[in-house]
Amino acid sequence: MSERHTAWLLVAVLLGQLLLLSVEAPSPSGPGDNVLESTVLRALAPVSHAVASLVGGVEGLGGSWRSQRTLLAENRRLKERLRELKLQQIRLDEMEAEVERLSAALDYQRSADSTLRVADVVYADHSSWMRTLLIYVGDHPAVVNQPVLSDDGLVGRVVEVVPGYAKVQLLTDRAAAVGAMIRRTRRQGVVRSGPDGLQLDFLPQQVDARVGDEVVTSGIDGIFPRGLPVGRVASVAEGDELFALIRLRPAVDFGVLDQVYLLPVRSLPEM
Amino acid sequence: MRTLRFAVALLAVVVLHALGVRLVPEFARSVDLFFVLTVLSALGGDSLVGLLAGLTAGLTHDVFTAGLFALHGFADTAVGYAVARLAQRLLVERARGVLLVAAVASVVQQAILAALALTLLADPELPQPLWIAVQAASTGVLAATAFTVGRRLRSGMAARRSSRSRRLHLD
Repeated sequence: MSERHTAWLLVAVLLGQLLLLSVEAPSPSGPGDNVLESTVLRALAPVSHAVASLVGGVEGLGGSWRSQRTLLAENRRLKERLRELKLQQIRLDEMEAEVERLSAALDYQRSADSTLRVADVVYADHSSWMRTLLIYVGDHPAVVNQPVLSDDGLVGRVVEVVPGYAKVQLLTDRAAAVGAMIRRTRRQGVVRSGPDGLQLDFLPQQVDARVGDEVVTSGIDGIFPRGLPVGRVASVAEGDELFALIRLRPAVDFGVLDQVYLLPVRSLPEM
Repeated sequence: MRTLRFAVALLAVVVLHALGVRLVPEFARSVDLFFVLTVLSALGGDSLVGLLAGLTAGLTHDVFTAGLFALHGFADTAVGYAVARLAQRLLVERARGVLLVAAVASVVQQAILAALALTLLADPELPQPLWIAVQAASTGVLAATAFTVGRRLRSGMAARRSSRSRRLHLD
C-alpha cells in the first residue's frame, strides 16, 4: 500500500475512533454497551482469569508455610471473634423478632431477603484514570447495574456483562455516583469521586456532619439498596457558595479485593 | 508470519499486563506495555504496520480499562503511524536512539490521551507530571531493552544459519 493510501487509511481510522469516542462519551449513568469491546473482552477475560488463578495458587503455597505460632494465635483470635459474633447474632435475632412483630402490627410488607452471590476478582485496575474490576461469575451471569459489595461495604456496580465475566465500575471511578446519607442525621447527598478521593456532595454549608459519621447508601438512586456502608466522614469544610465540602474515607480497601458479592438487581415499585 | 509474531507478542503483553497489575498496585500508571509493543512494531519503518499495531494494541488496552473504548486506540494509532514515518527518515539503530524515540512518543501519547479526556469527559482526572515522566522512562527503557535483545537474537540466528550453510557446502 502506498504512503498516500496509508495516510488516508490513518485519517479514516482516526475519524472512526473519534466518532466511537464521541458516541460513547459518558452520560451521568456511566459507560454504555459496546459490541467491539464486549467481543474482545470475551476473548481476553479468560487470560486474566488464568493469570489470577496462577498467582492465587502461588500465594496460597506461600501462605501454607506460615509458622505454627502464627496459626495458633490466629486461631485464638478467630475463636474470640466467633464468640462475639454469636452474642451479636442473638441480639440481632431478638431485634428481628421485634421488627416482625411491629411490622405485623402496622401491616407493613418487608422486601424479600437478598441473597448474596460470591464472585472472584480476576483483574483489578484501581490506579489508572479509570477504576475497574473484572470478576468471574461462571454460569450465573451478572446483570448490568447489579450492586457489588465486599465484606466491608459498597464496591460499585456492574457496567458490562460477557459470558462468564462482568466488568465492575468502582465507587472511586470518576464517573460513578451513589445516592447516600449520613446515618446519624439521615441527611441525603450524592457520593462521587473527586480530586482528593470520595466526597459527599450537595449538602448545605450548615449541615450537621461530624468527622467519623458513617455514610451509607440512601436507596433513592434506584440501583443500590438502603443501608450499604460507603465510608466515614474524614473532614468537613466550607465548599463553594452553597454546599459543604465533605470528604469521606471509603469503607472498602479497594487494593485488597479478592472476592466480592453481587446483590440482586432492585426493581422499582410500579407507581 | 509477521502477523502471527505480532499476535503472539500481543498475547504475551496481555499476560504480563494482567500479572503486573495483580502484583504491583501502580503498574498500570507507570508502565504501558501495549504502547511499547506499538513503538517496537513501528520502528521497522512501515507506516501501515505502525498504524495497525497502534490500533490493535491500543484497542486491546482499552478493553482492560473502564470508561471510553478507543481512547488508547486513537492515541496509539496516531503515535504508531508517526513513529513509523519518523523511522523512515531517521536511522534508529542504537538502543539509545530507541530509548529516546520511545520516551518522546510516550509523552506525545499521554498528551493526546489528556487532550481527548479534556474534550470528551466532564471532569477528567489527568495524570500527574511525575507519572507521565515515569511512564515515558519505563517505555523508553523497555523498548530499548526489547530492541537490543531482539537484535542479538536475530544476529545469533543469522550467524548459526550462515555457519550451518558453510558446513553444508564443505560437506
